Amino acid sequence: MIATETFKPLVLAQAKARKVEPRLIVVKHPIGGLNAEELRERIEAATKGLTEATK
Amino acid sequence: MKDIAEQEVIDLDDMDVEAFNDFATEQGWSDGMPLYVPTEAKVAKFVDTVRGDNRPYPPVPPRQIVPTLQALAANAVMAGCKPEYFPVVTAALRGVLDHDYNLHGTLATTHSCAPMVMVSGPIRHELRINCGSNCFGQGWQANATIGRALGLMLLNVAGAKPGEMDRSTQGNPAKFTFCFGENEEENPWTPYHVQRGFAPTDSVVTVMSGEGPHNLNDHGSTSGDGLLTTFAGGMATPGANTIYGKGPMFVIIGPEHAATLKRDGFTIESIRQELYARSRVHVSRISAENQDTYISTGHKPDGDWFTIARAPEDIHITVAGGPGKHSAFIPSFGGTTVACTRIAR
Amino acid sequence: MRIINPTFGLAAAGGAKVALKPVNWATDAIALVSNSKPNARELLSGIRDKLGAFRGIDNIEFLSKNSASQPAPKDLLQEVAAKYRGALLAIAD
Repeated sequence: MIATETFKPLVLAQAKARKVEPRLIVVKHPIGGLNAEELRERIEAATKGLTEATK
Repeated sequence: MKDIAEQEVIDLDDMDVEAFNDFATEQGWSDGMPLYVPTEAKVAKFVDTVRGDNRPYPPVPPRQIVPTLQALAANAVMAGCKPEYFPVVTAALRGVLDHDYNLHGTLATTHSCAPMVMVSGPIRHELRINCGSNCFGQGWQANATIGRALGLMLLNVAGAKPGEMDRSTQGNPAKFTFCFGENEEENPWTPYHVQRGFAPTDSVVTVMSGEGPHNLNDHGSTSGDGLLTTFAGGMATPGANTIYGKGPMFVIIGPEHAATLKRDGFTIESIRQELYARSRVHVSRISAENQDTYISTGHKPDGDWFTIARAPEDIHITVAGGPGKHSAFIPSFGGTTVACTRIAR
Repeated sequence: MRIINPTFGLAAAGGAKVALKPVNWATDAIALVSNSKPNARELLSGIRDKLGAFRGIDNIEFLSKNSASQPAPKDLLQEVAAKYRGALLAIAD
């Protein structure tokens, strides 16, 4: 799951309620409202997080 | 020894109300206003008032626990309710637990929505719920504490802690409390709960996850048609969730506006039809990026206009308030419903 | 003094901890599930393009909720469970 750092506590709280330990990739906040250039950094970070998690 | 969170009854050293409030704040139980102490004896008095409703509660999202009646009553005590208010609060809770109300979404959203609680029927007068002047405002214990009790339940039972599970960007003063009564006595049409199929003698709680009331001021119009022009203009707002979150909304008509509309032959159905037809937002008032977002999520404009409702039936109408030339528009979260629950007594 | 805990409740039935199955992110079929907030799809699309540098992406597909404000419908969840080994969810705002 990809979440922004700001929404990480929400994800963790909901996961706890559902008794799940999420595999979480955390990127900077926000995602919405970013232009394509700004979003590129989030894509890089999320992809890096995913590839590292799968090594 | 069990953790406090796992105990239904907690033994504390005797303490004054200030010390209890410090303790409750530390536990995360407070909405920031002073709380009454939910002693076993006080809670028992509240529990005794809902003997007519023995149905179990479902798990309450997002926290997914099944509350006990005692725990619910503790929240009503802390809010400052009188015991006889408790059946109204539990009926409101059952309303927000309606599947289509989407409690999880309405609590976890960044939107500012709060549970609007409207009370209809004879219980309004028995409990002195304000339906007249300043009905959305301060000054009435029942209005203030019934709405507050529901808010505390959503904090403590549902787990909607601000900044954690409750992700509202700015929140809304209505999150402290938002409860009022219908002004059935000055409603020239049919009371809301009767519109929804209940008997006039039933007492009913209606809930909707809404924004606070948006005022609709019209001192100048002398015709029903003129009033509807103002109402529709006030409702046609590009910043409300309803423009793309499509869902229900309330128009709470002040008694003087209602009298004018009635005099000119308008019915609830014709008001809905007119407001649906007129309360549209021209594309020129919406950024190109936002238009793309709306369209990509299935909300296409009708010609050059975005509607704010899916159909006239999304626009719920009733009367509340006192003298004056004001009405109110209450848009909802969007993905929610208007749930009605008869108060069991 | 004895008070009643306003947060007390009983665990819902079926409360066993959910274990996640292992996923091989380098080869398995993956669902990219958008929560339908602005830029969620764009974020997932960018990740899919990047993954193309080191794995096949024919079995990486986009799915989305009907509405950002509504829970994922059951048929969407069933589709994810039936067709994919892994799901990448974007919680964007």
